[in-house]
Formats: sequence, structure tokens, C-alpha cells
Amino acid sequence: MNSEPFAYAANALSGPLLLLLAAFACLLAPLFFRALRGTQGAIALSAVLIVLAFLRRAPLVEISCFNGALLLTPASAYLWAFAFAVLAAVILLSLARPPAEEDSGGEYYFLLFMATLGLAALIAAGDLFTAFIALELLSLPLYALAGIRRSKPGLEAAYKYFMLGAFGSALTVLGIALLNAVYPDLAFAALMQAGAPDTLALAGFVLVIAGFAFKTALVPFHMWVPDAYEGAPTQISAFMGAAVKAGGVIVLWRLFRIFEFGPVREIFWWLAAVTAVAANLMALAQTGLKRLLAYSSIAHAGYLTVAFFGGQRGFEAVLYYLPVYAMATIGAFAVVLALEKGEKGPAIEDLAGLARTRPWLAAAMAAFMFSLAGVPPLAGFFAKFFAFSAAVNSGYTGLVVVAVLMSAVSMYYYLKVTVAMYMKPPAAAQAYPAPGAVEAVVFLMAAGVMLTGVFARPLLALAAEASRWF
Amino acid sequence: MELLTNPLSLLVLLPAAAGLLLLAVPRDNEAALKGFTLGATLLTLLVSLKLYAGFDAAGAGMQFRLDLPWLPAYGINYALGIDGISLLLIMLTALLMPAAVLASFSCIKEAQRAYYICLLLLEASMIGVFAALDLFLFYVFWEGMLIPMYFLIGVWGGPRRVYAALKFFIYTMAGSVLMLAAILWVAAAHHAQTGAWTFFMPALYAGAITPDTQFWLFAAFALAFAVKVPLFPFHTWLPDAHVEAPTAGSVLLAGVLLKMGVYGYLRLAVPLFPAAAAAFAPWLAGLGVFGVVYASLVAWSQKDIKKMVAYSSVAHLGLVVLGIMVFEPAAAAGAVLQMVNHGLSTGALFLLVGVLYERRHTRMMDDYGGLAKVMPGFSAVFMLVTLASIGLPGLNGFVGEALILFGSFRVYPWLAGAAVAGVVLSAVYMLGMYQQVVFGPLRHEENRLLPDLSAREWLYLLPLVLFMVLIGVWPAPFLKRLAPAVNNYIVLARPQPAAPALELKNEQ
Repeated sequence: MNSEPFAYAANALSGPLLLLLAAFACLLAPLFFRALRGTQGAIALSAVLIVLAFLRRAPLVEISCFNGALLLTPASAYLWAFAFAVLAAVILLSLARPPAEEDSGGEYYFLLFMATLGLAALIAAGDLFTAFIALELLSLPLYALAGIRRSKPGLEAAYKYFMLGAFGSALTVLGIALLNAVYPDLAFAALMQAGAPDTLALAGFVLVIAGFAFKTALVPFHMWVPDAYEGAPTQISAFMGAAVKAGGVIVLWRLFRIFEFGPVREIFWWLAAVTAVAANLMALAQTGLKRLLAYSSIAHAGYLTVAFFGGQRGFEAVLYYLPVYAMATIGAFAVVLALEKGEKGPAIEDLAGLARTRPWLAAAMAAFMFSLAGVPPLAGFFAKFFAFSAAVNSGYTGLVVVAVLMSAVSMYYYLKVTVAMYMKPPAAAQAYPAPGAVEAVVFLMAAGVMLTGVFARPLLALAAEASRWF
Repeated sequence: MELLTNPLSLLVLLPAAAGLLLLAVPRDNEAALKGFTLGATLLTLLVSLKLYAGFDAAGAGMQFRLDLPWLPAYGINYALGIDGISLLLIMLTALLMPAAVLASFSCIKEAQRAYYICLLLLEASMIGVFAALDLFLFYVFWEGMLIPMYFLIGVWGGPRRVYAALKFFIYTMAGSVLMLAAILWVAAAHHAQTGAWTFFMPALYAGAITPDTQFWLFAAFALAFAVKVPLFPFHTWLPDAHVEAPTAGSVLLAGVLLKMGVYGYLRLAVPLFPAAAAAFAPWLAGLGVFGVVYASLVAWSQKDIKKMVAYSSVAHLGLVVLGIMVFEPAAAAGAVLQMVNHGLSTGALFLLVGVLYERRHTRMMDDYGGLAKVMPGFSAVFMLVTLASIGLPGLNGFVGEALILFGSFRVYPWLAGAAVAGVVLSAVYMLGMYQQVVFGPLRHEENRLLPDLSAREWLYLLPLVLFMVLIGVWPAPFLKRLAPAVNNYIVLARPQPAAPALELKNEQ
């Protein structure tokens, strides 16, 4: 093995390894050292920051680790950086507003780290088995995290999420079993060359796709999303919206590109169209901000699936879309966090008069809403433009027409938030805490959605380079 | 550096930069906020005069070209350039802007900093729409403009402002998203044909697209522009938005935003899809004329002055659409000139309504009457503007309307005839309104003490009035600058001889 890729692999893998160590440190250290109690957040944050600081640009080769179970490529490097950055933001939010009770141990950060490690493995997975194990590693901690407050809505969220998630996992396993009956080698690269699938293999693929569609929250596999987003601690909702979706999208893309045509493509076509239509229509009726963001995240999963049809160029758009979407979502959830008092987060009405009481927060929230809606010059518009452009270029204009019409519909519910903030009087004078880490995350994300659109070139170049390695 | 040395680019960036700089001015320092905004718009006006001075009236091509790569992977450039049509519309924008700012000084009391930021960002995107030569850039400005306008209506508007703002935003957005899909298609077709990505408008003009496809693409573009113009039956957002918007918002909506729709037909829909345009033209012209008659009748029945002026806008713009859809040089030139005229006269009308509203807080005609005695200066200006709006010879409206009607008589005599009826109707309702408001006995005691126009109000009305008279008696310099651009438009609108058919196919 050439020494440069080897050095890179060592460097790249040391990141997750450090996170693993930090996870156990968070879990165990406070048990043994009384002085360390309450410092888990600081340990977690410093670990992530160290990992982020030592990220290196990947060499332009594919490095196969553990007999092809993990593939380190520029694409995985790009997405790992994305996942760790999301993790850092979520930890920052958790530090400012602890989601779990004070006396609970470090399990919150431990679970968060484990989920991120699962996500990292899922992104780099080279075969379906690894992808499944990574998926479980990602999902199991999240079930627990959704209910970590042990309150009624939290437990309800965790329960629903777990039941439906377990159902999705079962589908995936069944699908993998069927596939393994036909193909001895379940590496994605081998599946690419396997040729047209017979009926059994097709059934297997459909089941696996359904399983991952659960994670990505495509309609009709989205039922868990609104409840889980609403009941889970807001920090975890942000993590689910921004990061977990990315993992599902990546695996779906790997499955999608195995098929150049045929029934699986048609399934994806319908998934994308139905998701875009149904999610946006259902979002219109929402009154809770967290539920609104949940439906918005389902709708965006639909747009991402539309981008698949653009082939290579479409995937480039997906890689640009994910961080842009993540910034708006994390930012919006951070605003929710800054305002929330009860378990379920604020209703849209509760934002009334925010422009008067906290003008900067309102401006940032407006930027997130316009970005999610895809209004230029915010980054969300550029993301949608790239995604739809690729799909039109491949001849899927009908699908794009559905998607753009539905994003016009989505305008209504995103505007509803700005109406409340800017055009309704504040309910009552209330004291707000001084700005802290939550606000810092909000403004960082706001700067992101405002700048990565007009100055899209660097991020787009990275995405383009990464997209070639899938 | 070219970003700032090119006067056109400077015109786009200057208001935007000023809007961002305004954030540095303390929120409660009213005088500084107003002064800064006014200064920025005046500076923009100055730069636009430089543009006018440097414009080569005989030049056929695009002038003040600037081409900087923006997203090279997609062939998207920061491409700017203007011809006579965009020159006049940019000048109009730059002229109306200081008036709008001055008019806001007294009527905007809340959240002033945010208000002026919205105005400046709006100006930047309006000028950007007229200056963009890149389809993507055009779309960014076209849609981006919605955000400041939405807030202007929704935050500083009248009692039903939320409804009006949402309706405005969603109507316009729903109209334009299909245009986005069509833009993507056009660029993809060009890519399939030449292997290169570009969104540069002139490069896309020559594209060979089958007439069947053109039909759908034109329909998508035409819908977006028809909502903006607004053509009957897509006009229902306009009365709400106009009536609820603050004075400056109405002035800019009527004065500039509506012109973007017509400009879109001139610059994009027709030249990109000439074959489909030829098929659609009679229908669009018919809708335009129907709008003239219909909106005039509706305007006649209004009791609210602002609403009446709003409907009169629909009528005027209908006539303009007739002018551009007959593909006659005289009519097209008249239509562009009429856009400027309408911007001046309707802009001034909204300013005058604002003047009245500020004094009496009502816009109902019944609440006035006999103002000639208490507000002679106001009444004189109002008279002149009303006459300009109905097209009295010697004032600007006449020149534009006459050119449109002369040009279109040759092509659609019946439509032009019906349009004349509409023009006559406009005289009926405008003069009726004027009579009710200004003449007659002083019916309401409260009106006895109304002050006449203040110095500030004279200051922003006079330039508009001056231009109305100037264009009315001496339109030659404007028409001369329009001629090459209009001829270009006529040439581009001619369906090209059958070109090799091109269809988008699945890449696989």
C-alpha cells in the first residue's frame, strides 16, 4: 500500500476513534471521578473540536478498509466533516440548554457520540451488511435520546420512533437476506455489476429501500417523524433533521444508482413525487413549530430524491443541498430552543412580535424560513436550483414541475412563521435571558444560509469533487 | 474591481451596500437614517444619469457589458448589460426612488431602520432585474425582490396588510416557479445542443426548440410575467397589494414592479420562443385589451381613490401589453415609453393620494370635495397628473398611447378600437374622481384647515411633473434611444425558419 493513502486512512480513522474514546470518557469518567461530574459536555465539545481541527483533505483515491467494509473516499471525508460539524453544533446547543436532568450521567453525550459513529460508518459503508449494522448503531442511541427526558411526550416520541424504526430495520434485514440468497457478495460495487435483478432480488431491493426510506422519512414511511421531532429534546430533533437524514440519503443514492431504469426507478419517482406533495400539504395545517419543521424536513427529503434523477450532477447537488439544508434546520431548531418553555416547543403563534422583542433572532429565523422555502438570494434557493437543474437535464421535467409547484405551496407555511414574527403584536412583555451559545449557533447558521448561496463556489467545488467518488 | 467601476454594476450594488450599511446606523437616530437613505438613492440617481450620458443612442447591441464568472460549473455569470429599453426603466427606478423615500419621511413611524433597509434592497433588486443578462441572475433578482416588498406591505401596510402581503408573495411565487422549471429546460436544451452550459440570454435566443416544446415553455414564462403585469385574470392580487401597501410601496409597485412583467415579455418570453409567441400574441393582446375595458369599468365604480388608481394601473398595463404583442416598431416603442409614463403618472398619483391620506386618514372620495380652495397647489399638481394619466395631448401619456394605438391598428384593428374605448373610459373615471375630490363645495368642515403641499412634497412631486411635461412635448430623445432596442425586439420576435428539431432525452 502506498504510504500517502495509508497515512490518510490512519488520520481519518483516528477521528471516529477519538470520538469513541470521548464517548466512553463521558460515560465512565464522572462515575469514578466525582470532580468530573457535570463536565461531560465540555469533554464532548473539546473532543469534537479536536476532530474537526485535524480534518484533512482526502487524497483522490478510494481506500478500502476492513476488507471493503468501509470505503474512505473524498466523498466520505466530505460527509464525515459534515456529520462532525453537525455534532459540534448539537453539542453546543446541549451545553447551553441541557436536555436531560442535571443528575443524569454522561449517557446523553455517550449516546450522541454513538449515533454519530453509526452515521459515519453508514456514510462510508462499502456493503449492505455494514450499512445495516451502521444503521442500527445510528438508530438505537437515537431511540433512547428521543426519550431521554423521561417525560410523557418524550417517551411517546421514543416509543413511536422505536416501534416504526424497528419495523423499518426488520424490512431491511429481510431485504438483505433475500438479496444474499441471490448475490453472494453484497458490496455496493458488486451489486452494480450484478446485472438486472430477478424477482427475488427485486423484492429484496424494494425491502431494503423501504427500510432506508424510513430513516430518510419519505412518504409513506414518514409517520414517526412529526411525533418524534416534537417529543424529542429540540437538540435531538435538530440532529435527526440535519444528520440522520443525510445517512439515509447516502444509502438510498447508492441503491438508486444500481438501477438505470426499471421498476426501482419508478418506485423512486413515486416516492419523490408523493413525498413532495403529501409533506407540503400536511405541513399547511400545522400549528406547532417543531411539527412544522418536521414536515418541512420530510418535504426536503422529497426534493433530495428528485435530485437523484440528475445522475452524477444530481448527486453533486445533493451533497451541496445537505449542508445548506442542515444549516437552516439546525438554525431553526436553535431558535425553537431559545424560545421554548414547555416540552413540545413553541407554537407558531408564540413567535408573535418576535421582531419587536428580539429583532436579530427574528431576522435569523426569517432567513432560515426563506432559505428552506427556496427564495433567492438565500442558499436554499441555490440548492434547489442545482438539484432541479440536474433532474431537468436528465429529462425528468415532470417530476421537477411537481416539486417546484409544491415548493410554491410550501411558501405558505414558511411565510406563516414570518407573519407571526413581523406582523403580529407581541403577546406580553417578557424577560429574555442574555444571548449565549444558542444565539451564537443561530447567528452562525444564519450567516451560513446567507453566504453559501451567493458565494456557493467553494462549497459547490468540494461537493463536485466528492460526488465523483460514489 | 470591475464590479464597482462598471456604472451598471455599481447601480446594482450601491443600494444593496447602502442597505447593509444602514445596519451600522443606530436604530433610533431618525435623522441619520433618513438622510443616509435619501443620500444613497440620490447617489444612485446620479450614477444612473452617468449611465444615460454614456449611453450610445445609436448602438444596437447591449451596452455597459460586464461579464464575471459566478458559478462556472453551471455556466452562470454575473452578466449585466442594457439597451434602450432597460436604460429607460432603470432611469425610472432611480428617479422614483428618492421620491418614495421622501414621501416615507412623515408616514413611517415604526421600525424605520428596517423600513429603509427594505426600500434600498428593493431598489437594488429592481435595477438588477433590468440590468441582468444572465437568466439565473435575472431570476435571483426577480424572486429576491419579493422579500423586501413582502415586508414593506406586511409590516408597514394598512389594516388588511397581512392578507395582502401573503397574497402578493404567493401569487408571484406560484407564477414564477414554473418559469424556473422552464429556465432549467432551456439551459438543458442548449447544453444538449452545444455541449456547453450557459444562462446568457443572447446565447439562448438562437436556440432551436421545436414549436410544440416552445408552446409549453412560453406558457410557463408568460404565466410568470402575466401575474406580474398583471394581465386579466391574474390581476386579483394587485388591488389588495396596492391598497394595503404604504405610499412608497404602492409607488414602487405601480411604478416599477409591474413593468418587470412587460419587460420579461420583451427581454425573455418573446425572443426565447418566437414561434410560440406568434401563436400566443393575439390571445395575450386580447387579454390586455379586455383588461383595459374591464379594469376601467371596475375603476369607475370605486369609491376609494387608491383602489381606483390601482385598477387604472391594470388598464394602462393592458394597453402596454397590446403594444408589445403586435410586433410593430411604433407600437413597441410606444409601449416602452408608456411604461415610463405610467410609472411617472401613477407613481405621482399614489404620492398624491398619500399626501391626502396623511392629512385626513381616509381615501374615500366622499370625504373630500372642494379641495381647490384650501389646497390650490395640490389641486394644480393633481390636475396635471390626472390629465397626464388619461393621455391629454401635450403630456406624456398621449405620446405613448397614440403610438401604441397607431401601431396596433394595422395588426388588430378591432382590438385597437376596443382599447380606444378603454382610454375614453379612463378619462371618464379619472375626471369624475378629480371633480369629486377637488371641485364642488367644501362638504366637510374638517377639510377647511388642510395645509397645502409642503416644501418636501413639492420637492418630490416637481421632478415627476417636469418629466411628464418634458416627455409630452419632446419625446424624441427617449424614442431615439429606444429605437435600436425595439427593432432588435421585432427582429427577434420573428419566428425563425424551421430549425433542426431538438428534444431533450433521457441521458441513459
